[in-house]
Amino acid sequence: MLEVKNLEVAYGALTALHGVSLTIQPGEMVALVGPNGAGKSTLLKTIAGLLVPRAGAILWEGKRLNAVPPQRIVERGVALVPEGRRLFARMTVRENLELGAFTRRAQTERRAQIERVHAIFPRLFEREGQLAGSLSGGEQQMLALGRALMGLPRLLLLDEPSLGLAPRIVESIFSVLAELHREGMSLFVVEQNVHAVLHLARRAYILEGGRIVGEGEGQKLLQDDHVRAAYLGPLARGATS
Amino acid sequence: MLAVGFAALPLFTQRNDFLNLGVQIFLAVALAQSWNLLGGYAGQITLGHAAFFGLGALVTRTLWVGGAPLFLALPAGALVATAFGVLIGAPAFRLRGAYFAIGTLALAEILRITVGNLMPQISTIPAAALASYSIIPRYYLTFALSVFCVAVVALLVRSRIGLGMQAVREDEAAAEASGVGAFGHKLLALAISTALVGLTGGAFAYYHVSYYPQHTFSPTWTFDAVLIAFIGGVGTIHGPVLGALFFVLLREVLAVRWVDLHLLIFGVLFVLIVLFLPGGLVGAWDTTRRLIGRLTRQR
Amino acid sequence: MILTQQLILGVLVGALYGLAAAGLSLTFGVLRVLNVAHGELLMLGGYGTFWLFTLWQIDPFLSLLYVAPAMFVLGLLLYGALFQFVVQANEEVRIKNSLLIGFGLTLILHTLAIHFWTADERAVTTSYGGAVVRIGVFAVPLIRLASLVFAFAILTALHLFLAKTRWGRAIRATAEDWEAAALMGIPVGKTYLVAFALGTVLAGIAGGLVSVSYSISPSIGLEWTLKALIVVVLAGLGSLFGSFAGGILLGLAEATSVAFLGGPYREVMGLILFLIILVLRPQGLFGERG
Repeated sequence: MLEVKNLEVAYGALTALHGVSLTIQPGEMVALVGPNGAGKSTLLKTIAGLLVPRAGAILWEGKRLNAVPPQRIVERGVALVPEGRRLFARMTVRENLELGAFTRRAQTERRAQIERVHAIFPRLFEREGQLAGSLSGGEQQMLALGRALMGLPRLLLLDEPSLGLAPRIVESIFSVLAELHREGMSLFVVEQNVHAVLHLARRAYILEGGRIVGEGEGQKLLQDDHVRAAYLGPLARGATS
Repeated sequence: MLAVGFAALPLFTQRNDFLNLGVQIFLAVALAQSWNLLGGYAGQITLGHAAFFGLGALVTRTLWVGGAPLFLALPAGALVATAFGVLIGAPAFRLRGAYFAIGTLALAEILRITVGNLMPQISTIPAAALASYSIIPRYYLTFALSVFCVAVVALLVRSRIGLGMQAVREDEAAAEASGVGAFGHKLLALAISTALVGLTGGAFAYYHVSYYPQHTFSPTWTFDAVLIAFIGGVGTIHGPVLGALFFVLLREVLAVRWVDLHLLIFGVLFVLIVLFLPGGLVGAWDTTRRLIGRLTRQR
Repeated sequence: MILTQQLILGVLVGALYGLAAAGLSLTFGVLRVLNVAHGELLMLGGYGTFWLFTLWQIDPFLSLLYVAPAMFVLGLLLYGALFQFVVQANEEVRIKNSLLIGFGLTLILHTLAIHFWTADERAVTTSYGGAVVRIGVFAVPLIRLASLVFAFAILTALHLFLAKTRWGRAIRATAEDWEAAALMGIPVGKTYLVAFALGTVLAGIAGGLVSVSYSISPSIGLEWTLKALIVVVLAGLGSLFGSFAGGILLGLAEATSVAFLGGPYREVMGLILFLIILVLRPQGLFGERG
């Protein structure tokens, strides 16, 4: 279970997160929505260890996670699929996947896990020897997701998985997420595409200006007036196209 | 205060070794302060400083030994150095950071090798001038030069242009966005820096009895300038002065036993300062003063 | 005729330029740190080979078996003592600081070398030192040819390491995007450490080959750092074999200038080429990044 308590993160003099608190129960799928610049990426990066909070704590399975280096956080079972994917473009699909299993824990199951990832994303298997940079947007997202799965995470953090992707691909990505969720993985998804994610996530938090301003059940939030006005207006059009 | 002391020194002693030491110190101050303007205040770390030192020395020496009066030969040297600086400024500033540094180093090396090939013979002051050689005018000349360098830099950095240079150092894009013409400021810093070090080279040419022309283009001059500026406190006015004093005196003290030991010490000091004490000696002094101030106030 | 002979010699020395550059390219590419003391490390490797030969008659090529691990350890120490602090900053500050640190390190190593070994030029002269291989009408010094082959072999080995092994992949990934690498569970600090140490080893091996094929003295540091820099700029980052080819190109360019302008301007040619490429195309001829 993930617990974030009163997290405060700053970039120099600029405070990006003010006293953020939330929890993710084991096996839950939780969404984080909010406008641009709210600090959603900052929150995920801090959980993943790329940023060090100025105050507050992050607890994962009862143990402190803040101020632990990112590579150890992966060992503990938390993996981040970063915004923009951040694939190793000059390396092949296979190499990217193998790198995902760098930790000792993941190394032992490497071969089996690659089979599993290929089963989930058959397209990747076709393109095994291709350079990651030459893949299409959707394929890159699949690779990024597959790469994170190679690390055998128990909690998967996703930063804008639907960014820049066609609606059909977004659907397939989210169906994979749903499948992972059914198999018991905890998921924390940051998304602009509120419609897609709130259908799936049981719970969601709303982050605005670095603060949690709302929380609720996914479906309920979809009906909520404030949320509709803020996020679903222009996006509702996008969801139907 | 220090300046007055140095100015009065020849009145109390005619000892050549003291006066020579003074000349070394003044040259070092000018060398480092001129670099400090471009590297410390404008933030453009250059490793080609020796090129302009050498040019100033070359032109001044050639003219002066050839019969021209010093008051013409010296500025001429500075002029040539500055002209060259401005000439390479445009293409040079297209390079950023490390590339600018090694690009200028490459340039200085090209000059050194070329001069070494074209003028391999040692250059010596002709016998007539040698007979009447006196350290006193050279002492006052270099003294005036060092004061001039410090003054120029001190006045410049307080001016609007100087503040613009520092803005460019901190964040070139931001400075540009707020209306500070980055290229213009960098070029001006380069021009003044090369003028000052050109004068220093000229003064060296006037002072040193005999040397190989390519020696004045040696990267050692650049390295000395960088060392002194950083150890003293890069980007401060007093830094190069303190650094120069420390540098020359330490070199004198250690010269007896282990010839280049002072370089070793400076190398280590330099590394420590870059890593842990970016303010150099000046910075350390400021911090100590503040600490003492806080301690005494608590009573 | 003279030109061709010069060109052959140019290729031979170019192989060593390439090897030296590969080490610099590795540390710069992975750590984004410009270690201008690279040439001094090369010099140290050269002296290692020299003393092993002079004191214990160990064949220079064999001595590299000792020099290489010694340089690796030295690289570990230098990273631990100095460069690990430099990599804590962002990229722009890193490059600037590494330039300065490298500069200080150059001074320290240079002064120590002069103190312990004097400023005299040294060379390793083996019994087979003068042997020459005749290719047609041209004379190819055997040792230099062996050095070229050796350099190529080392680079091939390193290439295989980077391409096929887990740590090699980790190094390449870190070079591309260290944050993403960290998210994979890759210990970035250790990766930097290994990459830096490997770069040092390459410098040392190059130095050993220089000591037996040419000569060494404490002052060759700056010269070889510049050579390595020129080749890195010429060939760009990202490819070991690109560095090798770039080194040979530099050797050829120098040889051409020697044939037409004479020996004293050999260095100048390379430096001018360097400046031109810097200003026109900072990412190099084969490189992927600036």
